[in-house]
Amino acid sequence: MDRRRIRVLLVEDEEIHRVLARAVLRAAGVEADEAENGAEAVRRVRERVGGGGAYDLILTDKQMPVMDGHEATRQIRAMGVTTPIVAVSSDSLPSDVQAFTAAGADDFTPKPLTKEKVGHILSKFGLA
Amino acid sequence: MEYANLRRQAASLKRSLFDQGYLDEQFCQVEDLQDEASPNFAEEVVSLFFKDSARLVTNIEQAMEKYPKDFNRWDAHMQQLRGSCFSIGASKMNNECTSFRNSCGEENAEGCRRTFQKVKREHAILRQKLESYFQLLRQAGPARAATRPGSM
Repeated sequence: MDRRRIRVLLVEDEEIHRVLARAVLRAAGVEADEAENGAEAVRRVRERVGGGGAYDLILTDKQMPVMDGHEATRQIRAMGVTTPIVAVSSDSLPSDVQAFTAAGADDFTPKPLTKEKVGHILSKFGLA
Repeated sequence: MEYANLRRQAASLKRSLFDQGYLDEQFCQVEDLQDEASPNFAEEVVSLFFKDSARLVTNIEQAMEKYPKDFNRWDAHMQQLRGSCFSIGASKMNNECTSFRNSCGEENAEGCRRTFQKVKREHAILRQKLESYFQLLRQAGPARAATRPGSM
Protein backbone atom coordinates (compact mmCIF):
# COMPACT_ATOMS: atom_id res chain seq x y z
CA MET A 1 0.00 0.00 0.00
CA ASP A 2 1.27 3.50 -0.87
CA ARG A 3 1.91 5.07 2.53
CA ARG A 4 1.00 8.50 1.22
CA ARG A 5 -2.57 7.35 0.78
CA ILE A 6 -2.95 6.08 4.33
CA ARG A 7 -5.58 8.11 6.15
CA VAL A 8 -4.68 8.76 9.76
CA LEU A 9 -6.50 10.80 12.38
CA LEU A 10 -4.33 12.23 15.14
CA VAL A 11 -6.29 13.21 18.26
CA GLU A 12 -4.21 15.37 20.61
CA ASP A 13 -4.88 18.59 22.48
CA GLU A 14 -1.31 19.64 23.36
CA GLU A 15 0.39 21.53 20.55
CA ILE A 16 3.87 20.20 21.27
CA HIS A 17 2.69 16.61 20.97
CA ARG A 18 0.81 17.40 17.76
CA VAL A 19 3.90 19.05 16.28
CA LEU A 20 6.06 16.06 17.13
CA ALA A 21 3.56 13.47 16.03
CA ARG A 22 3.01 15.33 12.77
CA ALA A 23 6.73 15.31 12.06
CA VAL A 24 7.12 11.64 12.97
CA LEU A 25 4.18 10.64 10.78
CA ARG A 26 5.48 12.77 7.92
CA ALA A 27 8.84 11.04 8.21
CA ALA A 28 6.92 7.78 7.77
CA GLY A 29 5.26 9.18 4.66
CA VAL A 30 1.93 9.80 6.33
CA GLU A 31 -0.06 13.04 6.38
CA ALA A 32 -2.65 13.03 9.16
CA ASP A 33 -5.87 14.84 9.87
CA GLU A 34 -5.88 16.34 13.34
CA ALA A 35 -8.46 16.76 16.07
CA GLU A 36 -7.80 18.65 19.28
CA ASN A 37 -10.25 16.75 21.43
CA GLY A 38 -12.33 13.63 21.46
CA ALA A 39 -15.52 15.33 20.34
CA GLU A 40 -13.86 16.71 17.23
CA ALA A 41 -12.40 13.26 16.56
CA VAL A 42 -15.84 11.65 16.75
CA ARG A 43 -17.21 14.30 14.37
CA ARG A 44 -14.42 13.72 11.86
CA VAL A 45 -14.87 9.95 11.99
CA ARG A 46 -18.64 10.33 11.53
CA GLU A 47 -18.04 12.55 8.47
CA ARG A 48 -15.71 9.94 7.02
CA VAL A 49 -18.25 7.20 7.58
CA GLY A 50 -20.84 9.33 5.83
CA GLY A 51 -18.67 9.65 2.72
CA GLY A 52 -15.02 9.77 1.80
CA GLY A 53 -13.92 6.49 3.29
CA ALA A 54 -13.00 5.54 6.82
CA TYR A 55 -9.66 6.34 8.41
CA ASP A 56 -7.04 3.61 8.25
CA LEU A 57 -5.73 4.45 11.71
CA ILE A 58 -6.65 6.64 14.66
CA LEU A 59 -4.02 7.75 17.18
CA THR A 60 -5.52 9.25 20.29
CA ASP A 61 -4.35 10.87 23.48
CA LYS A 62 -6.17 10.15 26.72
CA GLN A 63 -6.56 13.39 28.64
CA MET A 64 -8.19 16.10 26.52
CA PRO A 65 -10.73 18.86 27.09
CA VAL A 66 -14.37 18.51 25.94
CA MET A 67 -14.10 14.73 25.50
CA ASP A 68 -11.26 12.43 26.51
CA GLY A 69 -9.73 9.60 24.51
CA HIS A 70 -11.63 6.85 26.34
CA GLU A 71 -15.02 8.34 25.58
CA ALA A 72 -14.07 9.17 22.01
CA THR A 73 -12.98 5.56 21.50
CA ARG A 74 -16.26 4.28 22.95
CA GLN A 75 -18.33 6.53 20.72
CA ILE A 76 -16.34 5.65 17.62
CA ARG A 77 -16.82 1.96 18.31
CA ALA A 78 -20.52 2.53 18.99
CA MET A 79 -20.77 3.84 15.40
CA GLY A 80 -19.63 0.43 14.21
CA VAL A 81 -16.26 1.78 13.07
CA THR A 82 -13.56 -0.89 13.14
CA THR A 83 -10.61 1.35 12.27
CA PRO A 84 -7.60 0.46 14.44
CA ILE A 85 -7.39 2.84 17.36
CA VAL A 86 -4.07 3.24 19.15
CA ALA A 87 -3.93 5.14 22.41
CA VAL A 88 -0.86 7.36 22.77
CA SER A 89 -0.54 8.57 26.32
CA SER A 90 2.04 9.41 28.96
CA ASP A 91 -0.15 7.55 31.47
CA SER A 92 1.03 4.00 30.86
CA LEU A 93 0.07 2.09 33.99
CA PRO A 94 -1.63 -1.28 33.39
CA SER A 95 -4.90 0.29 34.55
CA ASP A 96 -4.57 3.00 31.87
CA VAL A 97 -3.96 0.41 29.17
CA GLN A 98 -6.86 -1.73 30.40
CA ALA A 99 -9.20 1.26 30.42
CA PHE A 100 -8.41 2.00 26.79
CA THR A 101 -8.77 -1.62 25.79
CA ALA A 102 -12.13 -1.76 27.54
CA ALA A 103 -13.21 1.30 25.58
CA GLY A 104 -12.34 -0.47 22.34
CA ALA A 105 -8.79 0.55 21.52
CA ASP A 106 -6.61 -1.96 19.71
CA ASP A 107 -3.24 -0.99 21.09
CA PHE A 108 -1.47 1.39 23.42
CA THR A 109 1.88 3.11 23.14
CA PRO A 110 3.44 5.48 25.65
CA LYS A 111 4.28 9.03 24.60
CA PRO A 112 6.15 10.35 22.85
CA LEU A 113 5.61 8.93 19.39
CA THR A 114 8.87 8.00 17.69
CA LYS A 115 9.75 6.76 14.23
CA GLU A 116 10.18 3.27 15.62
CA LYS A 117 6.79 3.26 17.34
CA VAL A 118 5.05 4.55 14.22
CA GLY A 119 6.81 1.93 12.11
CA HIS A 120 5.68 -0.77 14.51
CA ILE A 121 2.09 0.49 14.52
CA LEU A 122 1.90 0.72 10.73
CA SER A 123 3.32 -2.79 10.39
CA LYS A 124 1.05 -4.23 13.05
CA PHE A 125 -2.08 -3.03 11.27
CA GLY A 126 -0.89 -3.86 7.78
CA LEU A 127 -0.35 -0.23 6.78
CA ALA A 128 3.39 -0.37 6.16
CA MET B 1 37.46 27.08 11.28
CA GLU B 2 35.47 29.21 13.68
CA TYR B 3 32.35 27.37 12.62
CA ALA B 4 34.02 24.03 13.32
CA ASN B 5 35.01 25.26 16.75
CA LEU B 6 31.46 26.39 17.48
CA ARG B 7 30.15 23.03 16.31
CA ARG B 8 32.59 21.29 18.66
CA GLN B 9 31.47 23.47 21.54
CA ALA B 10 27.82 22.69 20.78
CA ALA B 11 28.59 18.97 20.59
CA SER B 12 30.46 19.12 23.87
CA LEU B 13 27.61 20.95 25.56
CA LYS B 14 25.14 18.44 24.22
CA ARG B 15 27.27 15.55 25.44
CA SER B 16 27.41 17.09 28.89
CA LEU B 17 23.63 17.48 28.93
CA PHE B 18 23.35 13.75 28.36
CA ASP B 19 26.16 12.81 30.74
CA GLN B 20 24.63 14.88 33.53
CA GLY B 21 21.18 13.40 32.93
CA TYR B 22 19.42 16.54 31.76
CA LEU B 23 18.44 14.96 28.46
CA ASP B 24 17.75 11.47 27.20
CA GLU B 25 17.49 9.72 23.84
CA GLN B 26 14.21 11.45 23.00
CA PHE B 27 16.14 14.68 22.36
CA CYS B 28 18.10 12.90 19.63
CA GLN B 29 14.83 11.63 18.18
CA VAL B 30 13.64 15.24 17.96
CA GLU B 31 16.86 16.35 16.26
CA ASP B 32 16.56 13.40 13.87
CA LEU B 33 13.30 14.87 12.61
CA GLN B 34 15.12 17.90 11.22
CA ASP B 35 15.44 17.98 7.49
CA GLU B 36 15.89 20.50 4.71
CA ALA B 37 12.25 21.52 4.97
CA SER B 38 12.51 22.00 8.75
CA PRO B 39 16.17 22.74 9.50
CA ASN B 40 15.39 24.32 12.88
CA PHE B 41 12.77 21.82 13.96
CA ALA B 42 14.50 20.88 17.22
CA GLU B 43 14.88 24.49 18.32
CA GLU B 44 11.25 25.18 17.43
CA VAL B 45 10.06 22.20 19.46
CA VAL B 46 12.24 23.17 22.41
CA SER B 47 10.90 26.74 22.24
CA LEU B 48 7.40 25.35 22.24
CA PHE B 49 8.30 23.16 25.21
CA PHE B 50 9.51 26.10 27.27
CA LYS B 51 6.53 28.24 26.32
CA ASP B 52 4.24 25.37 27.33
CA SER B 53 6.12 24.39 30.45
CA ALA B 54 6.27 27.96 31.76
CA ARG B 55 2.50 28.12 31.51
CA LEU B 56 2.10 24.74 33.21
CA VAL B 57 4.46 25.69 36.04
CA THR B 58 2.37 28.83 36.62
CA ASN B 59 -0.79 26.72 36.61
CA ILE B 60 0.68 24.41 39.24
CA GLU B 61 1.83 27.33 41.35
CA GLN B 62 -1.63 28.90 41.24
CA ALA B 63 -3.32 25.57 41.97
CA MET B 64 -1.13 25.00 45.00
CA GLU B 65 -1.98 28.44 46.29
CA LYS B 66 -5.67 28.51 45.45
CA TYR B 67 -6.51 24.87 46.25
CA PRO B 68 -4.44 23.84 49.25
CA LYS B 69 -4.10 20.08 49.58
CA ASP B 70 -6.13 19.39 46.46
CA PHE B 71 -3.62 16.73 45.53
CA ASN B 72 -5.66 15.39 42.65
CA ARG B 73 -5.70 18.80 41.01
CA TRP B 74 -2.00 19.35 41.64
CA ASP B 75 -1.25 15.90 40.24
CA ALA B 76 -3.32 16.47 37.13
CA HIS B 77 -1.43 19.65 36.34
CA MET B 78 1.93 18.00 36.97
CA GLN B 79 0.97 15.09 34.75
CA GLN B 80 0.60 17.56 31.88
CA LEU B 81 4.03 19.02 32.59
CA ARG B 82 5.54 15.57 32.78
CA GLY B 83 4.02 14.70 29.44
CA SER B 84 5.68 17.77 27.96
CA CYS B 85 9.03 16.74 29.45
CA PHE B 86 8.75 13.40 27.66
CA SER B 87 8.40 15.20 24.35
CA ILE B 88 11.94 16.59 24.35
CA GLY B 89 13.63 14.09 26.64
CA ALA B 90 13.90 16.46 29.62
CA SER B 91 14.95 13.62 31.87
CA LYS B 92 15.99 15.33 35.11
CA MET B 93 12.96 17.57 35.05
CA ASN B 94 10.79 14.54 34.38
CA ASN B 95 12.23 12.79 37.43
CA GLU B 96 11.35 15.74 39.63
CA CYS B 97 7.84 15.82 38.18
CA THR B 98 7.53 12.14 39.12
CA SER B 99 8.73 12.89 42.66
CA PHE B 100 6.08 15.59 42.92
CA ARG B 101 3.41 13.17 41.76
CA ASN B 102 4.59 10.62 44.31
CA SER B 103 4.21 13.25 47.02
CA CYS B 104 0.70 13.95 45.75
CA GLY B 105 -0.06 10.25 46.01
CA GLU B 106 1.15 10.29 49.59
CA GLU B 107 -0.82 13.50 50.24
CA ASN B 108 2.43 15.00 51.43
CA ALA B 109 2.01 18.76 50.97
CA GLU B 110 5.47 19.60 52.24
CA GLY B 111 6.97 17.03 49.88
CA CYS B 112 5.01 18.57 47.02
CA ARG B 113 6.27 22.04 47.85
CA ARG B 114 9.84 20.83 48.10
CA THR B 115 9.78 18.87 44.86
CA PHE B 116 7.99 21.68 43.05
CA GLN B 117 10.92 23.97 43.85
CA LYS B 118 13.20 21.33 42.33
CA VAL B 119 11.01 21.16 39.22
CA LYS B 120 11.30 24.92 38.81
CA ARG B 121 15.04 24.82 39.34
CA GLU B 122 15.58 22.05 36.80
CA HIS B 123 13.32 23.91 34.38
CA ALA B 124 15.45 27.06 34.68
CA ILE B 125 18.73 25.18 34.35
CA LEU B 126 17.57 23.24 31.31
CA ARG B 127 16.29 26.38 29.64
CA GLN B 128 19.62 28.14 30.13
CA LYS B 129 21.64 25.19 28.86
CA LEU B 130 19.48 24.57 25.80
CA GLU B 131 19.46 28.28 24.94
CA SER B 132 23.26 28.17 25.00
CA TYR B 133 23.28 25.03 22.86
CA PHE B 134 21.04 26.46 20.16
CA GLN B 135 22.86 29.78 20.22
CA LEU B 136 26.09 27.94 19.47
CA LEU B 137 24.39 26.05 16.64
CA ARG B 138 23.00 29.27 15.17
CA GLN B 139 26.43 30.87 15.30
CA ALA B 140 27.97 27.79 13.74
CA GLY B 141 25.73 27.87 10.69
CA PRO B 142 23.33 25.51 8.90
CA ALA B 143 22.58 22.25 10.63
CA ARG B 144 24.01 19.01 9.35
CA ALA B 145 22.69 15.50 10.17
CA ALA B 146 21.93 15.00 13.87
CA THR B 147 24.55 13.08 15.79
CA ARG B 148 24.37 11.26 19.05
CA PRO B 149 26.72 12.11 21.91
CA GLY B 150 29.70 9.83 21.86
CA SER B 151 29.61 9.55 18.11
CA MET B 152 31.52 12.82 17.65
